[in-house]
Amino acid sequence: MNQVESLLNRPRFYYNVDGVGELGIGFMGLSYSLYIWLGMHSSMHSIWNKPYSLFIFVAIMCVVIHYGTKAIKKRITYPRTGFVSYRKRRSVLPALIVSIVWVVAGYGLSIIMRRHLDITTSACLILGLILSVCYAWGIARAVRWKWFVVFALAFASITVAFLPEGNVAALADHSSVIQYFSARLVGALLLYFFVSSAIILASGAISFCTYLRSAPKPAPESE
Amino acid sequence: MNSQIQRIAELDRVIHEPGRLMIVALLYAVDQADFLYLQHETGMNKGTLSSHISRLEKEEYVEVLKTYRGKVPQTLLSLSSAGRKAFEQYRRKIREAF
Repeated sequence: MNQVESLLNRPRFYYNVDGVGELGIGFMGLSYSLYIWLGMHSSMHSIWNKPYSLFIFVAIMCVVIHYGTKAIKKRITYPRTGFVSYRKRRSVLPALIVSIVWVVAGYGLSIIMRRHLDITTSACLILGLILSVCYAWGIARAVRWKWFVVFALAFASITVAFLPEGNVAALADHSSVIQYFSARLVGALLLYFFVSSAIILASGAISFCTYLRSAPKPAPESE
Repeated sequence: MNSQIQRIAELDRVIHEPGRLMIVALLYAVDQADFLYLQHETGMNKGTLSSHISRLEKEEYVEVLKTYRGKVPQTLLSLSSAGRKAFEQYRRKIREAF
């Protein structure tokens, strides 16, 4: 019966068989880190600090990721290992969990802002734990070597959490956000966001190369 | 205990065959999948896979749609509502039996 249950999970894992899911997440994370970094290191009146620039940035990123993923799937994955279209989920549970997390996170942030707390170490460790668990559950379960990525994500969070204050705070020195949060917290989160996105992007790139090697394109008549 | 054993005899034999069980389980989790995907996932050759699909189609558990992807022919498969119901029943019965 366990084998049947694992068969039921296979189509879900198939989405990232070519590493495209990770490439999308990594690209999104890296470009968002770059956007935040540009905002921090340019003047308050620059385009990077205008609210509309975020909307334009997010719109461009969504278009690139959506159509980029579609193009890779259509031209590379489907001709090699087949086409799958997924069922639409009707469950409200994921949306409910996300809403609760947002409310709790918002409340936590308001407390931190009011009391000027430095929660850098715990924030990095909690973020690292959440990201590692989500990655392990969503991706690493299907591919054994991806457990190294889980380890790398956890290790990166621990390293960033215990980096010397001066080094991390220097990353966010020019940010306007540091009037609400400590420079160390902002710098550490930006660094962790950047490092974890780079790890996921690298993992996606390795998967993509491995996939291309292991699944050669079949001859047209063999379809 | 006796009724538990009898459950095994009540299992749907069309689905219970390992090859067809793989096909139905894979299709249960998706909206549609093509022939190439099933061949790749199950490791069956074209002839065997085709015969299993024909049997499932005959029982109206699977719907087959012949189409084209560009100029390349493509066979899309999906589980019918009868097939979905039959697979859910099969899973329930096998859980009860073991």
